[in-house]
Amino acid sequence: MTKKFRWLAALLAIVLFAASCGDDSDTTDDAGDAGDSAGDEAVDQTQGGDLTFHIITHSDDGPFWSVVKRGADAAAADLGVTVVWKPGVNDANVMVQDIEAAVSEGTNGIGASLPDPAALVGPLQNAVANGIPVITLNSGSNDYQNIGALTHVGQTEVVAGNGAGLRFNAAGATKVLCAQQEQGNVGLTERCEGLAESFDGEVVTAFMGLDADTAEQQNTINATLAADPDIDGILGVGPVITMSALRAAEDLGRDVTIGGFDMTPDLLAAIEAGDVAFTVDQQQYLQGYLTVLFLYLNVTNQNTVGGGLPVLTGPGFVTPDNAAAVVALSEQGTR
Amino acid sequence: MTDAAASLPVDGSAGTAANGDDERLAYRSIFQRLFIRPEVGAVIGAIGVWTFFWAVSGTFGTAGGSWGWIDIVASSLGIMAVAVSVLMIGGEFDLSSGAMTGAMAMLTVFIVKETGELGGLGLPMSVSLLLGLAVALGIGWLNGTMVERTGQPSFIITLATFFSLKGLKLGLANRFVGQIQVASTEEASDYDFWRPIFAGEWERNTHQFEARDFFYTSLPLLGFTILVLAVAELWFNRRSTPNPAGMIQFLVGLAVGVAGVGLMHGTDSTGGNALSAAVIAVGVLVGLHGYCQWRFEPLTDRGTLQLDSTCRNRLLIGFGLVVVGGGIAMAIDSSSNAQFVFPFTVQGIRAIVSVALMVTGLGLLAMVSQAALSINAATKFVATAALAAGVLLVAAVVFLDSESAKFRASLFTILLAVALIVFAWGLVVSRFEERRFVDRDADRSGYIMMIIGLLSILVGIAFRLLFVTEAELLAGIPPTKTSVRVLWFLAFTSVMVWMLARTKFGGWTFAVGGNKEAARQVGVPAARTKTQLFMIVSFAAWLVGVLVAFRINSIQANTGDGKEFEYIIAAVVGGCLLTGGYGSAGGGAIGAMIMAMPLIGISAARWNTDWRFLFLGVILLVAVVSNRYLRLKAEALRR
Amino acid sequence: MSAPLLELEDISKYYGNIIALTDVTTSVNAGEVTCVLGDNGAGKSTFIKILSGVHQPTDGTVRMNGDEVTFAHPRQSLDAGIATVYQDLAMVPLMSVWRNFWMGAEPTKGRWPIQWIDTKKAKAIAKDELSKMGIDIRDTEQPVGTLSGGERQSVAIARAAYFGAKVLILDEPTSALGVKQSGVVLKYIKAARDRGLGVIFITHNPHHAYPVGDRFMILNRGRSMGNFAKDELSRAELVRMMAGGAELDQLPHELEDD
Repeated sequence: MTKKFRWLAALLAIVLFAASCGDDSDTTDDAGDAGDSAGDEAVDQTQGGDLTFHIITHSDDGPFWSVVKRGADAAAADLGVTVVWKPGVNDANVMVQDIEAAVSEGTNGIGASLPDPAALVGPLQNAVANGIPVITLNSGSNDYQNIGALTHVGQTEVVAGNGAGLRFNAAGATKVLCAQQEQGNVGLTERCEGLAESFDGEVVTAFMGLDADTAEQQNTINATLAADPDIDGILGVGPVITMSALRAAEDLGRDVTIGGFDMTPDLLAAIEAGDVAFTVDQQQYLQGYLTVLFLYLNVTNQNTVGGGLPVLTGPGFVTPDNAAAVVALSEQGTR
Repeated sequence: MTDAAASLPVDGSAGTAANGDDERLAYRSIFQRLFIRPEVGAVIGAIGVWTFFWAVSGTFGTAGGSWGWIDIVASSLGIMAVAVSVLMIGGEFDLSSGAMTGAMAMLTVFIVKETGELGGLGLPMSVSLLLGLAVALGIGWLNGTMVERTGQPSFIITLATFFSLKGLKLGLANRFVGQIQVASTEEASDYDFWRPIFAGEWERNTHQFEARDFFYTSLPLLGFTILVLAVAELWFNRRSTPNPAGMIQFLVGLAVGVAGVGLMHGTDSTGGNALSAAVIAVGVLVGLHGYCQWRFEPLTDRGTLQLDSTCRNRLLIGFGLVVVGGGIAMAIDSSSNAQFVFPFTVQGIRAIVSVALMVTGLGLLAMVSQAALSINAATKFVATAALAAGVLLVAAVVFLDSESAKFRASLFTILLAVALIVFAWGLVVSRFEERRFVDRDADRSGYIMMIIGLLSILVGIAFRLLFVTEAELLAGIPPTKTSVRVLWFLAFTSVMVWMLARTKFGGWTFAVGGNKEAARQVGVPAARTKTQLFMIVSFAAWLVGVLVAFRINSIQANTGDGKEFEYIIAAVVGGCLLTGGYGSAGGGAIGAMIMAMPLIGISAARWNTDWRFLFLGVILLVAVVSNRYLRLKAEALRR
Repeated sequence: MSAPLLELEDISKYYGNIIALTDVTTSVNAGEVTCVLGDNGAGKSTFIKILSGVHQPTDGTVRMNGDEVTFAHPRQSLDAGIATVYQDLAMVPLMSVWRNFWMGAEPTKGRWPIQWIDTKKAKAIAKDELSKMGIDIRDTEQPVGTLSGGERQSVAIARAAYFGAKVLILDEPTSALGVKQSGVVLKYIKAARDRGLGVIFITHNPHHAYPVGDRFMILNRGRSMGNFAKDELSRAELVRMMAGGAELDQLPHELEDD
């Protein structure tokens, strides 16, 4: 009886291990530039020269972050350095540990995201004090100077929201629903605030259900639209909720201008078909690539970028005009 | 505790004290029998939540709003909540159930997807469905087997499965598609065959049916009439020989009632409405009395009015509260044009205070009429009439004071009807003999009538939800859709309800959940039963996964993650005991409705959606406490 | 009269070098109650486990209707018609009486895979069987948890009898009950006996055993202190033997000295 169970447990462990390895090694291959398969170790390392950079983010290895990772891997391959990718899966504690470990390993540079500045600023300041160059990426535009980082590579959410607001103005919308897929997420809230800043009409911001349940999202948006006939624009602050918004509007037969954030294949297809007006692309591939490049240039050539200002990777926009091209690139995993 | 229970005679809770015969054969009245169902709390809660959102929002009660929450129940929450309820009755949890829905959706899509060298098998949908089902059942089997073999709590084992599935979803999606999103079902060669089965849609606005309102009014009225008669059937003592005079009276009453409804339908003036309401009232009173005269033993000794001081005080206070509540509602200005933003406005406070006072008042009146049931017929009549008068008073306040047409029309009508029924019931209860013994025939016909009545009401409502009239189209009603998912949900729920109530396996489910060792001792294959229960959950996850895959054609790797707790909450709200051995599948379905209604209701009421978690929290708390109370009460009644 | 329904001869059981039972001999006839008395640790539970097939005797023979039998597995013992009603009853408190009565062997209608319980039949038989035992259950729909301890024991007894038990082993059915409830259970033991079952009533209470027993076997530290028919023994003697004879004679003196 117990014997049988052990067998099952072992099997499960193997499957799990294989799955987690498969995940890491594979994305390296997809980047199309790392010919070897170094990925049998738990931590992914792209082969390179003597320099090692640690990229420590709150990545969940979802669709968004896998593109960042590809950017970083591509830069590592281009420059001949080693990049250690440490996904913190939204846990600042893990990130603090990873930063401290990287410092004690004597890394040549750290790229870090700052989802929780209160927890992460201290360890990063410590890294800077140890003479390690630090660049913040993705989130952290408010704190990178405080840390003493070289620069910040990313998109500020407010600026991205501003961009979306201008698009809604151009489309002639008067009342926009800013639909959120998480409650209390600062970044998403800032997108909506940015929208409200630049948009001429009224903005209603509301949580519409998690991405894990698209049926709930769609019906909630449907109910919101039905209750408020004035809404003629929806900004989904994520790709999944944007598609839910599209379905809800179609079900109701409402003529609504829909904009989104970030990209998934079906969202790109919807833009190509003209059902969705645009999506805000923060070009996160750049966040991975540029972070590694800037660290490399700083270490080898003492260059600094940005002149104390952040380097913005977005907002770029995908519209029906350029959607086809972006789709092709997205299939390569670089957009 | 059990010793005491056996040595004590049946406690004299209202209506149970048996006279003569065997004092141990206490008779349970119809309401007591209904109240010992595990899902009764959930049903009351669902009606309450629905009424609340209907009252505070403009669109929640419309066809669009209704299909909104029904769709949430049908396409994700409901099916899983029912399956998880069944598993919970069997004494186990499945934390992998949420992730499994997403995994099954991904698998289904993945097998049919053609993406060239990066993967995707490009197989027909039929193969994909079968393979997916096999994998799902395999996961369920694995869950069950591991729980049984290790003896570890299912909480831990399925948590491991949850993480494994989550990892597999991310890993495999990344590996084969290079992306976290997998698309799409449309690529399957036999997609067109399966689409109507899993995602067929019904557009309300393209189904015009002018006679809809006839069905929408007549079926629920018919159903309601049958329900009242069913309760009478269960409540009263049958005559040995039916009284034909009563039957004639019943038919006359019925005819008058129908005529009244017809009259009301034809008229539009206030006076006409009042007249037809009076006609209907006469019809109901004559008809119900006639029906009882026809079939039941009349009461010989009615006694005289006996109200003790407690009852009298309660009557006074009850009426007082209704009057004060109504007065407050009238006194505060209701004409403010401010948006009805709950609850921090004058309007909100007015609503809360007056509703709370009136409900408390009515509650006190109801308590008196309940207490009066065990005194004598004359007292019953007076106390019930007092309750009816209280309801009438509230109806008057609503009519005079409410600004909203919805309240003035619908709520007022409903309250009038309630007052009428309460009064009519008081009348017959005081004139016919209550049955205090088990009469299988009467019980069976009563239950059958009850089911027919309920079905008739639901079918009537379904007419309203499914069809549109020309007038509505001219008024520019927004399009509304529903889908075949609702049928899947109904089918799955019915099968589970039947299985639990009527099959061996259902009995074993309760047995292994209630006392696994005992079940094993008498030869119930406990391990197999539990494994099969896990497989039911994974089957449901497969079904939901397929429904989701057909719904949106593309699947995120995180689909369903974290939903498992919502399923568990729905099951608990529906009356299932966390420790197993008690609950019902239907309760899980109703629990899911209670969970889904606020999601739509808060949006429909245009409140800040931040409130929704507060709402869910309050609902869970209230549900757990009241379910416990009802269960203890039920067990006490069963003694 | 023919061979007894169940007969044990010189049964011994060792767990390693621990002696649990030595040379125990007793028998039970159909329609008789054999009481097995013993204090804690006397070997009563080993005795039950041997009869119910959980353990096998190290030595000795078990005969049913004169034929030697071995029970390698509880199932075999059950199939031979030996039903054991344990102290912690095999009942699910929240389930109804009739469902408990039928649990694991529900009568069904229909054909696989669409089979359902014949509830009407199940309820009727359950009620009928219980009333045959003299148990008046108000409503077979009520949960077993609301029954008194004595009633629960009796439901278990009725169930065992209905499902073809010839020998009924009752493991301390009265030990957890009050005086009145114990009386109820004793009544049901008599009822089972009158229906022709052989009952082995295991208890430590001679006052419960004496009124219903036809035959008594007293166990003390794994040894049989002898088999007695009812007419060979008075209640007082039984009490005395049960309490350990001379040891107990000594006890009052010791207690009074203090």
